[in-house]
Amino acid sequence: MIEPVANNINYQLARKLLDASVMRQEAIANNIANVDTPGYRRLDVAADFGQTLRAQFAPGATPRAGPLDSLRPRLAVDNTVHSVRPDGNSVELESELMAMGRNRVDHEFLTELVSRNIKQLKMAISGHAA
Amino acid sequence: MDILSGIASTDSALTAQRTRLDVIAQNIANAHTTRGPDGLPYQRRVVSFASEMQRAQQSFGSNGAGLSTVRVSEISNDTTPGQRINDPTSPDADSRGMVTLPNVNLAFEMVDLISASRAYEANLTVAKNSRQMALKTLEIGK
Repeated sequence: MIEPVANNINYQLARKLLDASVMRQEAIANNIANVDTPGYRRLDVAADFGQTLRAQFAPGATPRAGPLDSLRPRLAVDNTVHSVRPDGNSVELESELMAMGRNRVDHEFLTELVSRNIKQLKMAISGHAA
Repeated sequence: MDILSGIASTDSALTAQRTRLDVIAQNIANAHTTRGPDGLPYQRRVVSFASEMQRAQQSFGSNGAGLSTVRVSEISNDTTPGQRINDPTSPDADSRGMVTLPNVNLAFEMVDLISASRAYEANLTVAKNSRQMALKTLEIGK
């Protein structure tokens, strides 16, 4: 009965992005923790996650929920930034804090989206707003 | 996975930065100690950090990225010689009236102090942020 909500493509997508935003918070926490560790390279969610999603939702493509199930975000060393410090560490405190603020907003938006999907289902079951 | 994302890293980093602050405080406090327990002038201590793999991820990829914690790997003595001044009245003066001062440079210590306390604050911010995110997650469906 509840498949239409659980299989809703937006709901599925929001869940995946929520996973990614929690993982990004872990990566940022790790980067800030290692801001003084010599030779440390910053981590981020691997780029293939975003690329796969973009390909799925490209204009003209028909998004299907099936391939989303197997898609899992994972952490990877971010090779796009280069170290400008003598100790070889590629973390910049300011940009990490900015990324964290942004990620927080993303996370709030996504929890709200997931919540609303569930609330809609509840409303459909009970017949009145929760 | 913790409900507070990355809290193990943040926690270890707070402890490590705290140790660094303590060592800096010790250096500044002893900036004029010309005789320690061993009879020699105080030597500046330096903290070094290392990271430790905390959780190996499944399906990691080839680059082997994983979360890590920070620990203080070593508190070593800075062995550069201290400045020598002529002060025959000092009880620690040698036969020629020269006293060796500790090799603590207050300017260096202050810069280190600022950097350590900024890093500590940044980690605190992360801890607060992780907590807010966890609370928000718990509100899903309410």
